[in-house]
Amino acid sequence: MPRRRRRQTRTAYLFLLPGLLLFAIFRLYPLLEGLRLSFTNARLGRATYQYIGLANYMRLADDTRFTVSLWNTAFYTVASTLPILAVPLLLALALNRGALRNVLRGVFFFPFTLSVVTVGLAWLWLLDPVVGPFNYYLRALGMPARSWLADPATAMWAIIATTVWWVTGYYLVVYLAGLQDIPRELYEAAALDGAGGGRTFWTITLPLLRPVLLFVVVTHVIGSFQIFGQVFVLTGGGPGDVTRTVVQHLYETAFQNFFQFGVASAMAWVLFAIILVFSVLQFRLLRGHTEY
Amino acid sequence: MSRALTRRTFLIASAAAAAATPWPRRGAAQPKATITYWNGLTGADGKVMDELIDRFTRETGIRVEQQRLPWAELYPKLQVSVPAGEGPDLALIHTVEVPHFANDGVLEAIDEAAAGGKGFRGEEYLPATWQGGTFQGKRYSLPLDVPQHVLYLNVKVMKEAGVTGPDGQPKAPASRDELVTMAKKMTRGDTFGFAIGTLNPGRYTWGFHNLLWQNGANIYTPDLKRAGVADPAAVEVAEFWSGLAGGLGIAPPANANCRDAFIAGRLGMWIAGSWNFTGLREAKVDFTAAPVPRLFRQPVVWSMPHQYAFPKPKSADRARREAAWTHIRWMTDHVAEWTLKAGQVSASRKAHSDPRVTGDPVLKTLLGQAPNWQVGQPTPKWVAAENITRPMIDSIYTGQKPAKVAMEELARQINALPD
Repeated sequence: MPRRRRRQTRTAYLFLLPGLLLFAIFRLYPLLEGLRLSFTNARLGRATYQYIGLANYMRLADDTRFTVSLWNTAFYTVASTLPILAVPLLLALALNRGALRNVLRGVFFFPFTLSVVTVGLAWLWLLDPVVGPFNYYLRALGMPARSWLADPATAMWAIIATTVWWVTGYYLVVYLAGLQDIPRELYEAAALDGAGGGRTFWTITLPLLRPVLLFVVVTHVIGSFQIFGQVFVLTGGGPGDVTRTVVQHLYETAFQNFFQFGVASAMAWVLFAIILVFSVLQFRLLRGHTEY
Repeated sequence: MSRALTRRTFLIASAAAAAATPWPRRGAAQPKATITYWNGLTGADGKVMDELIDRFTRETGIRVEQQRLPWAELYPKLQVSVPAGEGPDLALIHTVEVPHFANDGVLEAIDEAAAGGKGFRGEEYLPATWQGGTFQGKRYSLPLDVPQHVLYLNVKVMKEAGVTGPDGQPKAPASRDELVTMAKKMTRGDTFGFAIGTLNPGRYTWGFHNLLWQNGANIYTPDLKRAGVADPAAVEVAEFWSGLAGGLGIAPPANANCRDAFIAGRLGMWIAGSWNFTGLREAKVDFTAAPVPRLFRQPVVWSMPHQYAFPKPKSADRARREAAWTHIRWMTDHVAEWTLKAGQVSASRKAHSDPRVTGDPVLKTLLGQAPNWQVGQPTPKWVAAENITRPMIDSIYTGQKPAKVAMEELARQINALPD
């Protein structure tokens, strides 16, 4: 390597060093420390612990509540993906042009500026079975009121609806950025060829939005596997364990149920492995057909 | 016309300024020490604590730096911070937290003789509260007050349903059957006759504990060696629990906000924490309070005293520890004001004869319940067992699991908790 090139490389690494150091201290080290703890019976506050091999991982196989929380998380991820993909996309298509688009973009983005606790508390009140306005208007329309968050049949769907309402604005902005990047000439050419709105969407818009779709799907799936805040505030995992998710189970194991850091670390690593597998699969499935 | 500042004029001006500066008044408190104090008083009681602490600082010169977190966040923080030497000088915790914090070495043991020397003696406190500060024969905390359950009666709802006594005023039920009968009269549409718990009544473990204790059951057997929740007395309570919003249909759904429902006139009888009553008064709700009714075998009232505890410091700091002692002493001496403003009956007997306390009908009711107070069992596993009880009683309340099956499953989970 020429001397000048070596110097450039060294300079580049020097610039990267602060970021790499922060990454190593705050990301890599906790990650590896978590892996180490997952092979121990460590409990927060206890000075000593022993290495117990794979016992924590074996225990997870017998932990029915962990299994339930895994299934609940998978259900949430699958059931929420379509609305998370479709609702912001439809809104983005509608708001891509028009006089009020900037105002409406702001309106739709607003919920995303709220914290998850604020969103959760607001929806907790909206959906309250006794004093909530949602049921009030249902009754006013002559429809039966429901206990949306306490009914095992509707609780997870209510969480999904809340999440869609919360994050739509964010994905809307992402989609709009993607739509702005599609060359206008393609639409003009399609119009000259007599293509209608539907045809244009399926043959131009959607294929060229594929990188954005990939981004939305991957980030949403990763986020879905880590869902915690909405569930914690809205249902606490209930009714029973119907909406209990992996991260909630992990949190309670680590911080409420005897501070079992060893077991909780094992859960975190199982979750990490699942997310990794899904992310790789998604990249494989979608990247091959994507034009960047 | 300007004139250059000479050394002489500067000195004269400085002396004049110093002479003009008022000297501190004789006896005015100067800052002595600063202590850190963590608590979970995030409700209206937090403001009352702030006021009292301001007064304490003015009178003693000791500054108190409070850190206030929801209880559920405060406890993990203590568990993490104290071993790292970053804990506070003083913490306010619930009685049921004492055993596991003591067991994990988070709290420093308090020498009974030293505490007695500072005026903290068992005879000055109600026995359940004083005993709650000990674990395996050692003292770890000193009680402040006694959050407890009480029965709130909504005058409007009860009068509208005609559930009143001969005097036309709402009457408290004397038995489970009477409670159910009265509640059924009040339940119609979106109005419910009875609830136990503030938010999410289906998951309200403290209410479930109260009923367990009334039936002579408990989370653990008396020797604390195995779960007692599958015993017949506990299953009987679970059966009642399953009927509240189910077969009996007298209580709101599992995730209702019972406090809001009571304020909105949609709830007739409500067993809930004593900490709610000052808020009900502020909301101008027409209500009365009655002792928790005997719904099973004995009229036990759930309670969970707040306790002052000294988290283990990294290194001893005598001045700060003495300042913390001074604060506990001052609060204990002024506990009548805490009781009146925060609505929490004091653990110390000192305030119980205060005419301002005895003159308040709700506080009088709370004090009258003292012989029936019960607290959680003294085992480090109590809190963990409570956490796994929550979803199980929720599944019973919402009819997902039959009571007996759920309680047997819960017993298995509790027995599987690590030591």
